[in-house]
Amino acid sequence: MKYAYFPGCSQESTAEEYNRSLQAVARRLDAMDLIEIPDWNCCGATPAPAIVNPMLPHSLAARNLSIAAGMGMDQVVAPCAACYKNLRKASHELSEKPDLRAKAEEALPGRTLDRVPEVRHPLDVVVNDVGVDNVPVEKPLQGIKVASYYGCLLSRPSGGFDDPEYPQSMDRLMEALGAEAMPWAYKTKCCGGGIYMFQENVSFTMSADVLAHAKASGANAVAVGCPFCQLLLDLYQDKLAAIRNTTFDLPILFFTQLMGLAMGLDRAELGLEKLVVSPFELLARTIDAPEGEQPAKSRPRSKKLSKWGEAQTGGTET
Amino acid sequence: MLEYEAIRPSYEMSSEMEEIAEAVSTCYQCGTCSASCPVVPAGGMDYTPRSIMRLIQAGMEDEVLSSQTIWTCAGCFSCAVRCPRDIDITGIMMSLRNLALMRGSPARTAPTRWGRIYNVDFMRIVRRFGRMYELELVLRYHLKTNPFNLLGMAPVGLKMFVKHKLRLLPDPAEGRAEVQGIFDHLQSDRADQARKEHQV
Repeated sequence: MKYAYFPGCSQESTAEEYNRSLQAVARRLDAMDLIEIPDWNCCGATPAPAIVNPMLPHSLAARNLSIAAGMGMDQVVAPCAACYKNLRKASHELSEKPDLRAKAEEALPGRTLDRVPEVRHPLDVVVNDVGVDNVPVEKPLQGIKVASYYGCLLSRPSGGFDDPEYPQSMDRLMEALGAEAMPWAYKTKCCGGGIYMFQENVSFTMSADVLAHAKASGANAVAVGCPFCQLLLDLYQDKLAAIRNTTFDLPILFFTQLMGLAMGLDRAELGLEKLVVSPFELLARTIDAPEGEQPAKSRPRSKKLSKWGEAQTGGTET
Repeated sequence: MLEYEAIRPSYEMSSEMEEIAEAVSTCYQCGTCSASCPVVPAGGMDYTPRSIMRLIQAGMEDEVLSSQTIWTCAGCFSCAVRCPRDIDITGIMMSLRNLALMRGSPARTAPTRWGRIYNVDFMRIVRRFGRMYELELVLRYHLKTNPFNLLGMAPVGLKMFVKHKLRLLPDPAEGRAEVQGIFDHLQSDRADQARKEHQV
């Protein structure tokens, strides 16, 4: 299926590896064809609703959605969680409320909004359109224990593709890739990305909590689907560890990078070298380990669940 | 029959605030929002979200609009999805930001001021280029707040530069004039709206 692709500003700077790995994965999957929206504009991220007029985020989104509709597309894929939320909200409200649509058209002379495309996140497309079982796995991610981190805007506000409190789609994808999806409580806690420029300490406290919980779940890697979560947890990981007086040593990978690894794609297309906390040591220990030295496939999760308060067993590293 | 004289509003509210107050009129102060908020335990708010809801109900407009909370809300929607009264608390925080900027309400704390500078400059850059240009945003923000912080940013900046995560030059959208048009149109629209309301 063909999707209009809205990369968003961060895909060309801080999260270039997300863009690169997503495109590489989409090229391999027959059911996911991404065509970039020409000359897209910024969605306004978190600041837009405060500035000028509450209609601003809708009108900024309307320009992108109208270009996508002009391409004959009725689905737009936005990989950044903030773009996804803004565009999804706008798409929903513009198609439901004719008065909003009229206002947005007034701000955009020469463009029409008679057809408003639906907005999807690539995780949604992979899990619900392609299907986790249709992802061709050539190199199972055996030994990689993934804490799937959804952050705030992948599953909220509600009405999206997964549960706002305890989403499962990324976990299901990770299991299908051969990794072990760790159960943990902080998968939808916010990292504080929206306020980190002006409230650094507050957002670092929030992010450190997230990483501490990921570590406590026994994970050896974190999968994310948002450029801002990745930036905070990866680039600032040493600072976050210092707050907690510990070391985390957790590579923070985009879920598309993990997909690419499992699908046996060319590693140069995945941008693994751009991660600040290097994943190479983990890969050498797990999926790249010589035959016979690979960690044993972990037992099914149900056997490992222990009661609250009991000492955690398992998690044996080879 | 009992008469609840005490909670009958006896104050004047601006029409914009009245709209917001109507949306939070069903809040029964259960505190689910404050308990769900990740910013409260991290020490980022002066009023908890529940207090903001009550201040709105009590008509304490200036107190709400100059608060730090409306700027340090991370916009994560934890409160909104859990609110048993289905109030879009996150959306209300954003409307309050807009109103505070329109009124030029005084900033109660330093982070209140910083939050405004960041949000306004972010959208100024989007208006100019049609897209984000992170380097300018960081420089502008620190020069306006505390230029010495830029020294502290240097190691992170270097790390990002080495990893090619830093865009050195802006990458404007070709349709940036159209994006500017959106801003200008909505600005005059908002001004008209405000003028009409004050005449009534």
